[in-house]
Amino acid sequence: MNSSPDSRVLQQRFTTHLRTGVRTTIPGVAPDRLAHYRHAIFHMVKDTMESAYPVTCANIPRRKWDHMVKTFFARHACTAHQVWKLPLEFYTYAVENSWDEVYDVPYLSDLLAFEWAEIEVFNMEDVAPAAFVATGDWRETPLVLNPEYRLLSFKYPVHQEAKRARLLKQQGAWFVLLHREPVTGHVQFTGLSPWLAFVTEQLAAGITVKDILEYAPQLGITVTVELEADTVAFLEDMQRRQFVFGFRP
Amino acid sequence: MVGLGFRREFAEEMISGTLISPDFIEFAPENWMNIGGYWKKMLHRVVEKYPVLCHGLSLSLGSPEEPDSTFLRYVKSFLEEYKVRIYSEHLSYSKCDNAHLYDLLPMPFRMDAARHMAARIRKVQDYLQRPLAMEIISYYTPVAPEMSEADFINEVVQRSGCQLLLDVNNIYVNAFNHQYDAKAFIAQLPLDRVAYIHMAGHEQVAPDMILDTHGHPIADPVYALFEWTIQQIAPVPVLLERDFNIPQMQDLQAELTRLKAICHQQWKHHELVA
Repeated sequence: MNSSPDSRVLQQRFTTHLRTGVRTTIPGVAPDRLAHYRHAIFHMVKDTMESAYPVTCANIPRRKWDHMVKTFFARHACTAHQVWKLPLEFYTYAVENSWDEVYDVPYLSDLLAFEWAEIEVFNMEDVAPAAFVATGDWRETPLVLNPEYRLLSFKYPVHQEAKRARLLKQQGAWFVLLHREPVTGHVQFTGLSPWLAFVTEQLAAGITVKDILEYAPQLGITVTVELEADTVAFLEDMQRRQFVFGFRP
Repeated sequence: MVGLGFRREFAEEMISGTLISPDFIEFAPENWMNIGGYWKKMLHRVVEKYPVLCHGLSLSLGSPEEPDSTFLRYVKSFLEEYKVRIYSEHLSYSKCDNAHLYDLLPMPFRMDAARHMAARIRKVQDYLQRPLAMEIISYYTPVAPEMSEADFINEVVQRSGCQLLLDVNNIYVNAFNHQYDAKAFIAQLPLDRVAYIHMAGHEQVAPDMILDTHGHPIADPVYALFEWTIQQIAPVPVLLERDFNIPQMQDLQAELTRLKAICHQQWKHHELVA
């Protein structure tokens, strides 16, 4: 009579060891070869994270970073079929487990979000823009934006600075726009003021510049001729940079 | 037909086709599905130029759990969109307890595992409405075996009706690491089910261990095993895999040319018949 565990249990024991390092004994499995698998898998996961998060990795002491990757892989059941999406799960896990506090890196989730967004925007599926024409009234015509973008908000200016001490001194409200150039596929980064971030968000919802300016006082913003001119100048610049495609026909 | 694995590192060269000109390309759907932008444009350019075969990485048909139906739907649609001629996967698993491990893990060579895997393969073949060519993986340890590797493979093939992807380098590596005779092993396989061959390089890292790296040129003994192997089977597509330490394109082309010459020499009778 066969008293050994069935294959399912053997596979669970084998993979649990590979993920966590918890000791196991499986008939026929040589310990050094088991160690080879565990090393190879961890190396692949770590390499994936370091390719995705080069700034984060360089910003965190080596031991702490290794501990993060090991903890993530051991405790989180990775669901991504596509390896390039695995870093998103790392970022999500870090946020869900309050790693900013746990590892005393208050800007960690901002930094991971920033680095992940570049990968996401670069790889995201093509999105067809709405129909547009090249000319129109900047204030009164709804604008057509490049749909391949992400607007991020941060507590720390991780898009401008990598040094811990400097980052911690600049806690506040920071905004970054990432968009993908249609022809080259390159990702462009634009730091935005809170006002321009608000404008971008409203324009994406189909609101006109005129309506945004009319609403601004309700947010405590004083609309001046200069603010209006600067807003339009920003949009003109973003048209040159292929974030604003044009005007709704 | 001798093809080459399509990689981003030499995508431009393959699209231009001046330094390297495989008969077909192969890539993993996982690396290319649901993406847009620059790499989607490159993918479209390369599939316009070459016939496409696909080699899956994460179906994990040996897993205890059911295949992911959402992912399978994506795969089916991807294979149809790119008119993929052969879709292959692995006689292994890479996911357990619903966690992916991103490596090809050795199946326990046991009857319950063989039956389980065959049932999964049948289910996926039915859904995709095409046969799968299942690759015999390289592995570094057996896991509580109760039958031989060849018996395990025969059982899976017979029960599922799948085809085989014969990775000759894997068999060479396994024969070395587990101390068996590669030709005797191949002779025990259902060779009439071989639909596809892979060739790649390896590295010996210890007196008793070779790693299947895909990072070195094909070794001479693997060419010799390939030459012997293809005498046992009817002509099928042959792929050169090179994933790391990418050499000059001329060097890759030289490997393609050598593989082609061997195929031509050993299969010329079939070519005349055809």
